[in-house]
Amino acid sequence: MSAQTTSTQDSNNPDAAIDPSHWQEQEQSFLRKLNEEKRRKTISQLTLNLLGVVLFLLLWEATPHVIPWMNILLFPPPSDVVGTLVELVESGELLENIAISMQRVLLGFAIAAVLGIVAGLFTGRIALVQHLSDPVLHGMRSIPAIALVPLSLLWFGIGEASKVALISWGAFFPIWLNTFTGVRDVPPVLVRSAKSLGATPYQTMFNVILPASLPFILVGLRQGIGIALIVLVAAELAGASSGVGYMVATSHQLFRVDIMFIGIATLGFLGYMVDRLFTFLQSRIFPWYSSK
Amino acid sequence: MTALIEIKNVSKIYATSDDSATWALQGVSVNIEQGEFICAIGPSGCGKTTLLNIIGGFITPTEGDALLNGNAIQGPGPDRGVVFQEYALFSWLTSRENIEFPMRLKGVSKADRRAMSDKYLEMINLTHAADRYPGELSGGMRQRVAVARALVNEPQLLLMDEPFAAVDAMTRTSLQEEVLRLWEKLKFSVLFITHNIEEAVFLSSKIIIMSPHPGRIKEIVPVDLPYPRDRTSPDFGALYAKVNEAFHT
Repeated sequence: MSAQTTSTQDSNNPDAAIDPSHWQEQEQSFLRKLNEEKRRKTISQLTLNLLGVVLFLLLWEATPHVIPWMNILLFPPPSDVVGTLVELVESGELLENIAISMQRVLLGFAIAAVLGIVAGLFTGRIALVQHLSDPVLHGMRSIPAIALVPLSLLWFGIGEASKVALISWGAFFPIWLNTFTGVRDVPPVLVRSAKSLGATPYQTMFNVILPASLPFILVGLRQGIGIALIVLVAAELAGASSGVGYMVATSHQLFRVDIMFIGIATLGFLGYMVDRLFTFLQSRIFPWYSSK
Repeated sequence: MTALIEIKNVSKIYATSDDSATWALQGVSVNIEQGEFICAIGPSGCGKTTLLNIIGGFITPTEGDALLNGNAIQGPGPDRGVVFQEYALFSWLTSRENIEFPMRLKGVSKADRRAMSDKYLEMINLTHAADRYPGELSGGMRQRVAVARALVNEPQLLLMDEPFAAVDAMTRTSLQEEVLRLWEKLKFSVLFITHNIEEAVFLSSKIIIMSPHPGRIKEIVPVDLPYPRDRTSPDFGALYAKVNEAFHT
């Protein structure tokens, strides 16, 4: 009886006749192809990226030569700009300006981050504070930071303080608003869990509400750093004696469009790098955030 | 001797979304004795979750008394563990860290925390998933972690609000068996909210059948079948039929 059952099973099972090494080979060749495919995609993507940059540079180089009415002083081709770039790097002027600008951005951003997160926590959690501060904060949020440049110069002088103050002002609002939204929308079930597990209001705030709203806070910080870079330029274009924005402003007076181009490109590059750094740190510091 | 929980003539009135008033509970009285496994069952709107929220201390009754060991309930606390339907784990903490959370609040040393979380992870058979985040766990695994986290404080009462409603039928059965095993081992009392008759008959020593609009207790059915219960036995079937009838008339 039992022998019969076994033989029936065997005849019903088509795998039984095939050597298990067959499946392993199939699996390995499948994985090989998968890897091959992935590598090919990455390489072709990188090649296209590079090609795009080269095409852009070629087009830029050709434009002032091809279009007869174009003034080469107003539209210097990359071959000219590269020479100036080397000079600026060698003299240390460019790096010095970058360092000064980044210092202003980071200091202003740090102040904005602390104030924005604290304000967001309180306005998002305590109805009294929210309603009390709502009209004033939203009213101030609508003022473009650039409109405050002259006031800032009068109040804080032409030194570092006025730049840092303006940057903090600009970066504060997106950080505050996003933190507020995140804190307000923390699922009530998490707060209830914390309380029933014995958390005090203070512990609930820092061990539950803060980490639960972190995804929103990170969005706010990212927007904040973007705005910080914009406000930086506004602050440096007027009443500064150093920084990348200042470099752009003076090159205008010196009629040096090549330097201006370098300044503008530097600002773009800085913005891009800061954003990439941000996403990188985010995935490193908050692994659970990406696993959700 | 006073009961663990005494609910005396409790009513709760709510505002609905169109600003009219609705009675979630009206004149409800019930006791939970030490070591009981009570299931509250009823259609939506019968106030079973409101009852759990009052005992949990998340809301206060409009009228009547809710007592814990003879004292009025003043808010949530570690003497009453709560397991919610889903998504109540802290997604930024691993399974182990979730279980250790209540001990971290109390400032328990790292070594002691570790020993306790080891013990509870083993109890729920999730030692292998200790360092995974909730986002990496299945629904059933998440609820097991939630149960362990609620039990670390060694509560007298475990409140469970439709805890297995979101998991599939197979997982549900094994979770039910697991909760019974923990209940028999650790000797806490349970108030378990469900809308599943079979679940109630399988788990409880007493079933509270509730009816909606206004939320009231319709009938209290004691279940004296011995544990572990056999879902296919005639006695089980008879009780199922009895509860089913009370539920639907």
